[in-house]
Amino acid sequence: MTELEIPVEKWSGAVRLVTLGATGDGGTRTSTVTVGGETTLPFLHFEGQIPNAPVVAAEVVDMHPADWSPALLEALGDDTRDPAAWARKMVGLGADLISLKLRSTHPDQGDRSAADAVATVKSVLAAVGVPLIVYGPGVVDKDNEVLVAVADATKGERLALATCEDKNYRTIVAAALGNGHLIVAQTPIDVNLAKQLNILISDMGLSLDRMLMDPTTGAVGYGVEYTYSVMERLRLAALMGDGMTQQPMICSVGEESWRQKESRVADGVPESWGEYATRAVVWEVTTATALLHAGADILVVRHPRSIAQVQRSIAALMKGV
Amino acid sequence: MAGRTPKPKAKVSVTFAPHGRTVHAAAGANLLDIALASDVKVDAPCGGQGRCGHCRVKVEAGTLRRRHNPKLARAEEHEGYALACEAFVTGDVTVSVPTAEEIRSRPRPGTAAEKIALPFHCDWQRHPAIRKLTVHMEPPSLADNTNDLDRLRRELARQHGINDVVVGVGVLRTLAKALRDADWNVALTLDMRNWVLDATVPPRLLAIDRASDTSPNFGLAIDIGTTSVVAYLVDFATAEVVDTVSAYNGQISCGEDVISRIVYSQRKGGLERLHHLVIGTVNELLHEIAGRNKIDLTDINEVTAAGNTTMTHIFLGLDPKYIREEPYIPTASVLPRASADWLGLDINPHASVYCMPSVGSYVGGDISAGVLSSGLFLTDKLTLFIDIGTNGEMVLGTKEWLISCACSAGPAFEGGGVRDGMRATAGAIEDVWINRETYEPTFRTIGDRPALGICGSGLIDLLGELFVTGMIDKSGHVDRTLSSPRVREGGHGYEFVVAWAPETGRGHDIVVTETDIDNLVRAKAAIYAGFRVLCTSVGVALADVEQILIGGAFGQYINVEKAIEIGLMPDLPWERFEYLGNTSALGAYTALVCTDMRHEVVAIAKRMTYLELSADNAFMDEYTSALFLPHTDLATFPSVKVQVETNGTAARHSGHRSRAAQRVSAEGDS
Repeated sequence: MTELEIPVEKWSGAVRLVTLGATGDGGTRTSTVTVGGETTLPFLHFEGQIPNAPVVAAEVVDMHPADWSPALLEALGDDTRDPAAWARKMVGLGADLISLKLRSTHPDQGDRSAADAVATVKSVLAAVGVPLIVYGPGVVDKDNEVLVAVADATKGERLALATCEDKNYRTIVAAALGNGHLIVAQTPIDVNLAKQLNILISDMGLSLDRMLMDPTTGAVGYGVEYTYSVMERLRLAALMGDGMTQQPMICSVGEESWRQKESRVADGVPESWGEYATRAVVWEVTTATALLHAGADILVVRHPRSIAQVQRSIAALMKGV
Repeated sequence: MAGRTPKPKAKVSVTFAPHGRTVHAAAGANLLDIALASDVKVDAPCGGQGRCGHCRVKVEAGTLRRRHNPKLARAEEHEGYALACEAFVTGDVTVSVPTAEEIRSRPRPGTAAEKIALPFHCDWQRHPAIRKLTVHMEPPSLADNTNDLDRLRRELARQHGINDVVVGVGVLRTLAKALRDADWNVALTLDMRNWVLDATVPPRLLAIDRASDTSPNFGLAIDIGTTSVVAYLVDFATAEVVDTVSAYNGQISCGEDVISRIVYSQRKGGLERLHHLVIGTVNELLHEIAGRNKIDLTDINEVTAAGNTTMTHIFLGLDPKYIREEPYIPTASVLPRASADWLGLDINPHASVYCMPSVGSYVGGDISAGVLSSGLFLTDKLTLFIDIGTNGEMVLGTKEWLISCACSAGPAFEGGGVRDGMRATAGAIEDVWINRETYEPTFRTIGDRPALGICGSGLIDLLGELFVTGMIDKSGHVDRTLSSPRVREGGHGYEFVVAWAPETGRGHDIVVTETDIDNLVRAKAAIYAGFRVLCTSVGVALADVEQILIGGAFGQYINVEKAIEIGLMPDLPWERFEYLGNTSALGAYTALVCTDMRHEVVAIAKRMTYLELSADNAFMDEYTSALFLPHTDLATFPSVKVQVETNGTAARHSGHRSRAAQRVSAEGDS
């Protein structure tokens, strides 16, 4: 019997190592998370190194998200009214890090002040020891105001400030530069745009080991194949040595997969769709798993059960099973 | 008349200042239509669709019914300004057409004086296009009562070996008298019909003169551009260009680009109007050149014309509608002969007019002519030939093969879609330099007039300077932290003041806005993406291109250094670039005198592969990749990379404070 020879690609590039959170020099985390470092496509252990397993971040919002799917709100319980308790609960369920969205600072969602936001971030930092990704409300001026205040008040924590976009990145990058934080660079599902934003940000002097890129996520059934394809192309470019595509990738899985009818509606849908609560979680986990194969390094999820399920997939894939 | 109330549908009088022309029009008629019908030149590049805001006039007396259009500020409306396309006459009215627009009535000066020569050697005497022959006949008598025409044919065969000649009724009508007036010693002008690929076709008789008459024998080569029309008067006896003349295409008031023209042609009477306008432009040029050179226009015996596919269609009166509709095909690529009288050209009415063949709907006869005159079809070198304008057409190849494509760059390089953009005429800013320390610009205008706006070459310069000085980043955004009064927030985002109002001839600051910069970046990205896709399609690298030949009327004004800086042109050594001038007119001229080249240009058009980019996914990807300064893949622009790094653009953005601010404080310390 002849031995089957597996073809091995020789890559010249690697994904950049990025560490979130700091335990000293102003950092108060009890642990840090390092992602990146891959020298091969996802989980091809026979071909290259995958020194850091992908990680799961749990999404926490600074106000009760009444518009979220009932299946989520039920699973999360009363903790949604206190971001610190919410974060503590998710870490207890195994989340590697917390993604905190400062939604209440949105002009239409309460318009809370930057000082309030700082207080919220500090309370979450005090409640958990894992690193934080902090999202502004997603409105240009308010993002800048809030994230600058948070960055200044948490100097040295190596938070990931999100999000930088091509129309609005300078202020946030400057805040990260001045306070030793990281940023998340988000672009709308396009390889060139992702690369361009990385160049613009690094032109400001932010070192590349402080940048994550978010290629924008589409959920299963809602464009996941576009995301997959763009992530795959970015990763191929990175492995081929293109220095401006080598940032680890973060995906907003929860936000996208809980947006859909399949995750929100229990009644009036075909019976073949299956039991609602299970279906909704499966939607999130399936989206996350697909994107793991595309090269995701950080997956942000919402449902408590998704954390463990996605982590189980990661563990299996890392073992090469 | 004064004081009488106009009845419904009554005629009202409309006076245009400063022309002082008064015309009568039906009440309710559109002001732009009235102006066009009265030959009052109003700048309306969008063709009266209300999209460009250029057709502004000022009401001096009387009133107009006006539709509000966002292109005109409310304040300007209150001052009496109106967009002609949105205004309708209701009573007697006097409007003034801004004088700044008047100055634009001629293309930039200073190019006609150059000596124009055939681009390569050819034996133009071997097969002349038009021959002048003298024939001596015995007068008819009762003993030899052969009719006039057969007598002429008999002697033509006996004396010159030409056994057949085609004589149309038009010439025949003049024959009897002409022979007798000349005492049976005549000079014949013969069209040798070398355009006909089948060489057995007999010549055609064009004119009969006295043998003693030594009237010259001219030809005309025309480049029918969407923006301007250029004509070369050629002496067939020497094959030399006697004089050149140019003017704006009279169709400009019906839209600035080919698409607007096609749209206009679909209006009732639109095609006829466009046809008459371009023929009118050529006739104006003819009379100008005739007056200047004291020639008789009927001595022009043949015409070659090169234009893009749409211009060629309209010139011949062919409906261009289907050029714009999928699957985008023209009526014909190789076009039949037309006669001068049928087209309405004021030359020898029997003269033939030949249009250069096109390759596809968006690669026209101007490009076939360009490939001919550039010598691309003769070279061993891998060559890229480009003609940049509203459309960027490009051809890659050698003598062995040719592939072409067209990319829609938009009107930015012609000054369109840019707030203070204008065509390259007197008063246009054409060169710009920005001081790297003070951010103060210096510029030169065409004709050294007060600045009226910025033309395409000026915009390329400006973009390059803004980029290498670090005033804009790689995505074209203005650095808001710069401490210069010239960087400010305007009504349409951030902008850079190129000229303060007092330095201009317009009374307001001339600026370039971030939106303008976006449009320019999109234009250059489309062109560069075209280069890449063309190269990729045949498996060569852009860096392997051995020469880049820049043709087209606009091309000769592009500063290659700046064009490379912004990523419009590939980053190749400058010596590989060569400006060829108006390759379209040169090609028409070459085909006019070198009749062997007529077969060649048809062969060129037929063998050129046409790459349709609208069906090409790779183009979109290359385009997005090129939407960056100079390019997302900086490694493909090594010289620009070095420049950007040595200028420390990166360092400038490395903190809250700009380098400018730091410099100011440093200077304060010293």
